[in-house]
Amino acid sequence: MTQLLELTGVTKRFDAFTAVDDLSFSVREGEVFGFLGGNGAGKTTTLRMVLDIIRPTGGTISVMGRAPGRENSRDIGFLPEERGLYRQMTAIDTITYFGRLKGMTAAAARDHGRELLTRFELGDHEKTAVEKLSKGMAQKVQLATALVNRPRLLILDEPFSGLDPVNQGLLENEILHAAQRGATVIFSTHVMQHAERLCDRLLLLAKGRKRFEGTQDEARATLPAQLDIVARTSPATLPGVANAAPLGTTIDGWQEYRVSLDPGVDPGDLLLRCTEGGVPLRRFEPRRATLHDVFLHLVGTAPDAATPDLDPNRRAAA
Amino acid sequence: MMRHILLVAAREFRQIAMTRSFWLTLLILPAALAIGPLTQRFMSKDEPDRVMLIDHSGGGTARAIEAQFERERQRGILTDLSRYVQRYHLDDAAPTALWSQHDRWYSDADVARFVADGGVDTALTRLKPATPDGTPAFTPDKPRYVFLAPSPAITAATDGAVDSALRPLLHPTGKDAEPLDYAVLVPADFGQSPVVRLWSNGDATQRFVATLQPVLTQELRGRYLESNGLSADAARTASAIAPALAISTPPPGGGARERVLIRSILPLVACYMLMMSLMLSGSWMLQGTVEERSNKLLETVIACVSPEELMYGKLVGTVGIGLSMIAVWMLCGIGAAYATQGTIADMIRPALEPLNSVGTIATMIYFFVAGYVAIAMVFLAIGAMSDSMRDAQGYLTPILMAIIIPITILIQGILSGGGGIGIEVLTWIPIYTPFAVLARLGSGIPAWEVIAAGVLLAAFIAIELVLLGRLFRASLLAGGQRPDLKTIVARMRA
Repeated sequence: MTQLLELTGVTKRFDAFTAVDDLSFSVREGEVFGFLGGNGAGKTTTLRMVLDIIRPTGGTISVMGRAPGRENSRDIGFLPEERGLYRQMTAIDTITYFGRLKGMTAAAARDHGRELLTRFELGDHEKTAVEKLSKGMAQKVQLATALVNRPRLLILDEPFSGLDPVNQGLLENEILHAAQRGATVIFSTHVMQHAERLCDRLLLLAKGRKRFEGTQDEARATLPAQLDIVARTSPATLPGVANAAPLGTTIDGWQEYRVSLDPGVDPGDLLLRCTEGGVPLRRFEPRRATLHDVFLHLVGTAPDAATPDLDPNRRAAA
Repeated sequence: MMRHILLVAAREFRQIAMTRSFWLTLLILPAALAIGPLTQRFMSKDEPDRVMLIDHSGGGTARAIEAQFERERQRGILTDLSRYVQRYHLDDAAPTALWSQHDRWYSDADVARFVADGGVDTALTRLKPATPDGTPAFTPDKPRYVFLAPSPAITAATDGAVDSALRPLLHPTGKDAEPLDYAVLVPADFGQSPVVRLWSNGDATQRFVATLQPVLTQELRGRYLESNGLSADAARTASAIAPALAISTPPPGGGARERVLIRSILPLVACYMLMMSLMLSGSWMLQGTVEERSNKLLETVIACVSPEELMYGKLVGTVGIGLSMIAVWMLCGIGAAYATQGTIADMIRPALEPLNSVGTIATMIYFFVAGYVAIAMVFLAIGAMSDSMRDAQGYLTPILMAIIIPITILIQGILSGGGGIGIEVLTWIPIYTPFAVLARLGSGIPAWEVIAAGVLLAAFIAIELVLLGRLFRASLLAGGQRPDLKTIVARMRA
């Protein structure tokens, strides 16, 4: 797989504040790549640098083998976190306009725009001014402006924020749809459930620094294995067990435990040791870690914990 | 790059052109040009004023008054006919005729000759062979006054009783009854007493009184001389003596002062239009930029086009809007000049003469477009810094005052014929240069000054584009509080 996007040692400073610090990662062609981090982690700043909206202080960025620039826009679809449209323009004119800015002909942009509006169930509203559309409809039009050029690289900055549940579902489908046709999708989010459902690989960012890059399984592997067991005696003394916390009350001598294993210890090893050590078991259930757990483990705070002082939108052009 | 600029420009143009305020503004001038003559037609009185002359002093004065009004009407016809002949170049029909002598005032003797020669009917017959097909026909003005004979009761009424006798005529009660507009009583003792009574159904017009006055003066003098021993003929002759002033006047708009003013009309109009259209289209562009910021769509746009492309696109779009407005206004003005007749058309046509000079046209276009760019950039930078129109007003009001007030004084200065040092100083202040040069084009500005001021303006715009361009770029995505002066300077230096 070729690298569609590659950042090497990228740093972005705004005066004394470092928004992105020596960041290196790559995104392979055709994958859905999650860009995870809390508010102020540097996600938007990084995406803006990829799009050449702002320039890095240091490091190099390669987008589809080229330096960032507007000439890349014909292959890129972008949905910013802060969204808006020209209120007096009709839905189809808006999509056509952005298609043309991305190098399409008016006819091609209009045709694909109509196709998208029909797919988003807005076919009857193509000539409606944006200001007369509902918020949900306007969100669909905005998504269509990002998709109109059938982008090779789709960059979505916090795409799910502010969307109603119907449009969240629509967006997830569109991300999968884009990936199926071979597009590379990068989306930033601080909502881990979306990432879990969609991402092939992910990057975890905190305070402008990379904390993790890899697949979801690799991310989970950074956490010690956890399992829930029901036993008559505590497994805490068994080799490889880091912690065994009792849950609830004892029933007929049986107690439920949340067991954390030492790094590198496989749940199967614990099962073997329980059997060999004569620890009777009624339940033995390895617990699959969530990305939220991974985030907490690697960053130390929940991803949706706001850090207002680090808001890059305020700092980007200050 | 150019494709992006043009796309942004086209969108800007379309967005502004779709607003109601644009169309209202665009159509104001054509509507005024169309409505003006119509209003004049509707407002002007179609029917002649009804006048009754009551002469208790023998009847001669009433006849003299009526003759004077007819003389004035014939003088008006002769003057209009002369203008008509001049406008359609018909002098060859009768080069020595009175109506082919355009640059003079027609004396009573001229008017008498014109009437004796058959008046307007004979003149038109003589003109006919020389009049090309399609030339509009000459239509003499209708008489302004119709003279009604007094009824026997009024004639018989004493001077003191005329008042009550006239009341029903001046204020008739019948629905369809037409009131008298004027009644003039020349009393029986006119001569011994100078008093003549005039009743008017409204304000007596200056024209009516001015026509009446010399006849009565002449009559009064005649009677006075007669009562002092002169024979009736000698008294009449003496009182009628008047200097035969041979007044030569230039053709309409042909005077030296008028020529300067007329030559200045087009540049001044261009100057005024530049200011008007700049203020209007600039504020529309400002609104658009503020909308982009407040609607949070800037990031989507500048992911596709660079801030510079966005800025230039907006400038081109706004210049396009401004030039379209001016083109429409100009065409309407030219249309009005050539599709209509009359004094205004006679003034506008020579005013358009500067358009025959390529140099003047080029100078006007250069300073017009340069002025547009120089000031539109200011609007654009303000738009990029403002989250709302209220924010924008905070910056805009002092800047607009600083631009508009000197320009208004400048235009007034040119109109009043002053060339003063103030106007020359404004020529060298780049933000006022386009207005000052345009305004001075008609009254005369040395070529070196035009060129030097043009070069200075170009340099100013280049620096402005760099500095305000940086401010525009840096302000686009910046949020938070309105930037203070220090921040603005820092962004310009960034």
